[in-house]
Amino acid sequence: MSSIITLTLPGDPLFTEVARQTTTSVASLLTGENHSASDETQFVHDFELAVSEAFTNSVKYAGEHDTPPTVTLTFELEKQRLTVSLLDANSPFSIDTPAPDIESYPENGYGLWIIRRVMDSVTYRREGNSNIISMSKTL
Amino acid sequence: MIITETSANGIVIVALEGNLDALSAPKLRGSPPVADPKTTVVLDLEKVGFMDSSGLGAIVGAAREKSDPACGIVLSCMNDKVRRTFETTNAQRLFHIFDDTAAAVDFAATRQIART
Repeated sequence: MSSIITLTLPGDPLFTEVARQTTTSVASLLTGENHSASDETQFVHDFELAVSEAFTNSVKYAGEHDTPPTVTLTFELEKQRLTVSLLDANSPFSIDTPAPDIESYPENGYGLWIIRRVMDSVTYRREGNSNIISMSKTL
Repeated sequence: MIITETSANGIVIVALEGNLDALSAPKLRGSPPVADPKTTVVLDLEKVGFMDSSGLGAIVGAAREKSDPACGIVLSCMNDKVRRTFETTNAQRLFHIFDDTAAAVDFAATRQIART
């Protein structure tokens, strides 16, 4: 049995904090039993980080609009597993980005790499005119 | 995000409080001592509640602009959440990192003397 929560936010950087806080609240629902406190803290924080990166990318690549386009977050809660998906109407992209060349002091290009590093699995699909990136991790 | 600038032993300490993300990163880049290539800065991260790659990029980008990128920004008081973002990208390799600000200031002062 799983629970689904859906949240649609304006694609504006002001709402990144709302996306993060909602994510930590939802991820915290899975914690509390049979795990060490540090594992639980890491689980919640890794989702907070991954969603911040994904939401920021959605906002960044939305382009110029009179009213910001929306980003829809879907949280799928299973017993020990959480999947967070972000849907936007931006241009298609690839999640197979290379590791940042850290020795060249890059200012950008870390986001998708971080998401892949902190999540158990990350998938991308294109549906119609929408991008859907799904990020899963088991506690 | 709140940015507080103080100094000790001739070194500027920039303390950050709040979230370091896409919304606040430009504010950090705009901080005069952070942006000045010749000013060595100790960046106190103790009160950073959250930092994503936009915040990390601002710190790395500011270091790149320093006349001595490896020592122009010295980091102190990194909490576990901030450390996770650094270590996930290996960016900790670019910086000298200290558990307390006083030790970071001592190190930065020594490096500054060595350069003059």
